[in-house]
Amino acid sequence: MSGLEIKDLKVGYKRNQVIHGLNLHVNHGERVALLGANGAGKSTVLKTISGLLTPTEGSITWKDDEIHGNNPASLVEKGVVQVPEGRRIFPGLNVEENLRVANYGKSPDLLEVGLETAYKKFPILEERRKQPAGLLSGGQQQMLSLSRAIVAQPKLLLIDEMSLGLAPLLVKDFYEQLEDLFSNDVTLLIVEQNAGLALKYCSRFYVLRNGDLVLEGDAADYKDDPTSLQSAYLGVDTK
Amino acid sequence: MTEYIQLAWQGLVSGFAYALIGLALVMVFKTARILNFAAGTMAGVTGFLAHWWAADQGMPFGVAIVFAMILTAAGTYVIERLTVRPLVKLGDFLPIVIMTLGIEVLLANVSLLWWGGTARRYRVPGDIDRINWIIGDFRLNAWHVVVAATTFVTLSIVGYIINQTELGLGMKAFAEDQDAAKLMGVKESTVSIYTWVLSALVGGVTGIVFAPVLFLQQDYMNIIFIKGFVAAILGGFLSLSGGVAGGLLLGELEAFTIKWAPREIAAALPVVIVFIILLIRPHGLFTRAKQHERV
Amino acid sequence: MSETTNKRQSALERAGIPQPSFLKKNHYIGLVGIVLMYLLAGTFSSYSQTINMTIIYAIIGASLIVVFGLAGQLTLGHTIFVACGVFLSANITTAWGRGLETELPIAFAVAFVLGMIVGFPSLRVNELYLALATFAVAFVGVQILFEWKEFTGGGSGKGIGDLEFFGREFSRGPTLVRIGLVILLFSFWVVGNIQDGRTGRSMNALRTSETAARAAGIPVAWLKILCFGIGGGLAGWAGVLYIHTLRYGIPENFGVNLSIIVVLALIIGGKHRLMGAVLGAVFVRWLPEILRSVQEYEGVIYGGVLVILTLWSPDGLVGMFERLGGHIKRLAIDPLLSKNGEKAVSEQTNVVSPLSSNHLESFSSDQLRGALQIKNASVAFGGVKAVDDVSFEIPAGAVTGLIGSNGAGKTTLFNAVTGHVKGATGQFILDDQDLTGKPIHIRSLRGMGRTFQNLNLHDDLTVLEHALLGLDRNIKYNRVSESFRLPWVIREEKKAHFVAAEILEHMDLLEYWNDKVEDLPYGLQKRVDVVRALATNPSILLLDEPAAGLPTAEALEMMKKVKEFAQYTSAGVLIIEHNVELVADVSERVIVLDTGAILADGSPEEVMKDEQVIAAYLGT
Repeated sequence: MSGLEIKDLKVGYKRNQVIHGLNLHVNHGERVALLGANGAGKSTVLKTISGLLTPTEGSITWKDDEIHGNNPASLVEKGVVQVPEGRRIFPGLNVEENLRVANYGKSPDLLEVGLETAYKKFPILEERRKQPAGLLSGGQQQMLSLSRAIVAQPKLLLIDEMSLGLAPLLVKDFYEQLEDLFSNDVTLLIVEQNAGLALKYCSRFYVLRNGDLVLEGDAADYKDDPTSLQSAYLGVDTK
Repeated sequence: MTEYIQLAWQGLVSGFAYALIGLALVMVFKTARILNFAAGTMAGVTGFLAHWWAADQGMPFGVAIVFAMILTAAGTYVIERLTVRPLVKLGDFLPIVIMTLGIEVLLANVSLLWWGGTARRYRVPGDIDRINWIIGDFRLNAWHVVVAATTFVTLSIVGYIINQTELGLGMKAFAEDQDAAKLMGVKESTVSIYTWVLSALVGGVTGIVFAPVLFLQQDYMNIIFIKGFVAAILGGFLSLSGGVAGGLLLGELEAFTIKWAPREIAAALPVVIVFIILLIRPHGLFTRAKQHERV
Repeated sequence: MSETTNKRQSALERAGIPQPSFLKKNHYIGLVGIVLMYLLAGTFSSYSQTINMTIIYAIIGASLIVVFGLAGQLTLGHTIFVACGVFLSANITTAWGRGLETELPIAFAVAFVLGMIVGFPSLRVNELYLALATFAVAFVGVQILFEWKEFTGGGSGKGIGDLEFFGREFSRGPTLVRIGLVILLFSFWVVGNIQDGRTGRSMNALRTSETAARAAGIPVAWLKILCFGIGGGLAGWAGVLYIHTLRYGIPENFGVNLSIIVVLALIIGGKHRLMGAVLGAVFVRWLPEILRSVQEYEGVIYGGVLVILTLWSPDGLVGMFERLGGHIKRLAIDPLLSKNGEKAVSEQTNVVSPLSSNHLESFSSDQLRGALQIKNASVAFGGVKAVDDVSFEIPAGAVTGLIGSNGAGKTTLFNAVTGHVKGATGQFILDDQDLTGKPIHIRSLRGMGRTFQNLNLHDDLTVLEHALLGLDRNIKYNRVSESFRLPWVIREEKKAHFVAAEILEHMDLLEYWNDKVEDLPYGLQKRVDVVRALATNPSILLLDEPAAGLPTAEALEMMKKVKEFAQYTSAGVLIIEHNVELVADVSERVIVLDTGAILADGSPEEVMKDEQVIAAYLGT
């Protein structure tokens, strides 16, 4: 069964083209990492898939369905869910309201199931469920952000920079939890700057630099020595 | 003592008007970041329609109210779709403000044509507005009680919609972080249209219940509109309950200033408050300062 | 042909940039129009009142161009200044028995001061709240006037005395039209001069990007107050004319509605041009005359036209006509002209860098500058420390790179240094001047130049104007001389234009001098941002991601030019960048930030080999 397919994607803000013709695919149920130093255009790719940005050229298909140019809400209905960079929880809403938003437009039964799963995984969230999310610590906010994804019942999950602003141990923890939070049925595209971590949990990877694809490969080949990706990342060879 | 209670009650009644309009303004501003300068005139048109249908066209008062509200909702829908939505996409605030000013001028002049410029006072069924209960030295006007009850019911309904329904949840999420809300499946156009209509209906209720209190003139809601603004500013413009509290506070302040201060000063009160608030606490009395934006 | 290599044709002349002068095309158009009307005033004496009202609206429009069109401050309380002129005039003529010679200066002065007071909130709040605050002013202003009976006559209003000028009495009618035309001409001339001078440029800059204007050293706060002063003063004159035209004034006529109408008139006409003020005034005053049969629909038509124009022509009628003219020119006239040589820059005869031009001589320095000390800098956002106790020193004249992963606190540290972030603690010392706690524009004036990650350019301004904006500090004339375009104003403007052209040439932007920045491709926009900063002749130039969105080769080329300029002026450069390749190439020293603190510091080679740095970038 086909998964996500991106062909000749070009994206830009006004006159500033950020992505200059990207080809990428993620098979159904596969876990793929999109790597690169920051400013490389990784987040732009994710935002385009999730519908926040419209590509200037190229196509994005999800399960043989052309989805570029769709609005985010209709993509959520198709199971395309993004965990945004920097967590982006709603600080003024309480924890439970944050989770209820993730169920927006769906049946309340799904919400019950989702809440149960999320609270079982992160009991601290249940404890603080009536507190404004803005008062949570950074790690707890990330838990909330992931829990929103659980409630949203994704088929294609896009995760943007989970490691941002979190202690390394916590990040590792989250990656390990991804394993059992989402079944093998969920297709995963992870944007990450931290190559070492991403390679451990993904089967394949792509590296972007300045909006161009510079390397793709199997995670297994690089897992033990992520530093060998450095020249692809930075464009300088220091060895 | 009774005198103070009387003053406080009067302040409260005018405060209700400011609070409702303040609420209507904050609602649209919070979710869409739009300042609707036409809010007062829109509310005025609703009030005029209802009372004109009831008093001059012989429609039962209740039916007239329902019709006026339906027409307001439909009209707001059209205004939002045809004028506001195309500009929101451009992402610049100024054209939208100018647009709402244009709508204000347009509506004000349409109603001037329709109902003429002379002030008149519409009656309500059973002359409720003429009934006064005297309790000791305290005078209680029956219509004021109706006003208080309507305000209470309106606030409860709005509170219920915002806090208990999925739509309200979407509005709140959208107000906090538009992109994140969209990623959760909240549709921008749905939230926007419901917010506008709800805001216009709150305004409409205000227009209808306050028409018998004020002389009904083509621009009778303008004064309440300005004070609703002041209420919203007092509340920091981003907090619904802040806007309501601001309205009540302004009503009280006004009632007591008129009692003791010369008329010139009482007249200047709203602007003085706006200036002081904007200079000392630009984020309002009831909200905390927000983080500085990153450049 | 000259022998010395220094002798070269200036960039300004080669690009054909017109030199600032006293007269422009608009002066002739305005003068001819007004003289014509002056002579014809007698013929159309039956329309005197309508003509006068049009003149009054045009003057109010001109005053709003300063406040709203230039400085971008939406004011809905403008009629309070008109009312100020009206009732001052009424009192001066009746109580004192004096004429225009007293009315005009006093009306201007009082309305000017009142304007500055009304404009005060603009310092603290954004445009939206300001619109609101001025709206409240208009509303309450009327009520105060209404209650202040000895000044305004309350509800019945106040009449005017005789129309006099130094004791000479005039009849009203055509003579008043002529007086109105003289005042109109004078106001337009002054507003036109302000538009062409440094004040107009700075106001345009503050409208399009306040943050960037501050960083260029523009005293934004003062300009905001000033625009309300000028706007108020001119509206005061309109008030004087108003009461002489109608012979009486009633407070309730100067309410919110009139305030909105005058703003709408200007928007309908076009808010950036004096012609817009005229068109708006004509539209609002003559429409009812022409459409007598449907006069009652007047307001409906204004509202409708406004709604339609906002949707289809945000620049108003002027914008519509200009676009129409553009189409006609492109379709009908351009094909007739064989070659459009407007853009061509004539080749330089002897290849000499702009840096050896004598126009840039004042920028040259042998004394190394830009020694920056950052001591214990910290910035916290709601409990999260974005920058945590960072200290380092940069010697004068050095090129330093600052790298770090996303969220490492680089831009925040930058903003703390330039003053763009509130609540930063620590000490910032530049060349022995302590800049801690100083406002942004003061830091800029003391030698801190910066560019922006997300290109804070001024959309409506041309490339040349961006350079002139940076040069503002070198332009020495005061704002009063500017209003009358006195000889030294032109001299200083000329000097600045020469310098600006040389800087543009250095950054390879000369041929684009007359393009609006929004029409340029991204790479050129980046260079415009750099030009604006270079023109301020900074001691240290802080570049925030100069390479972001550019191919590395193009970014390297740009950096080469920046380094040349820095060397010439003996200034230092500090670069934040993600593009490590670029930083390694241009910097003498690289500092690596990670989670708000310094991770490594040394030569590019050392830093690139540092294991901690590799770990931070790639993870382990």
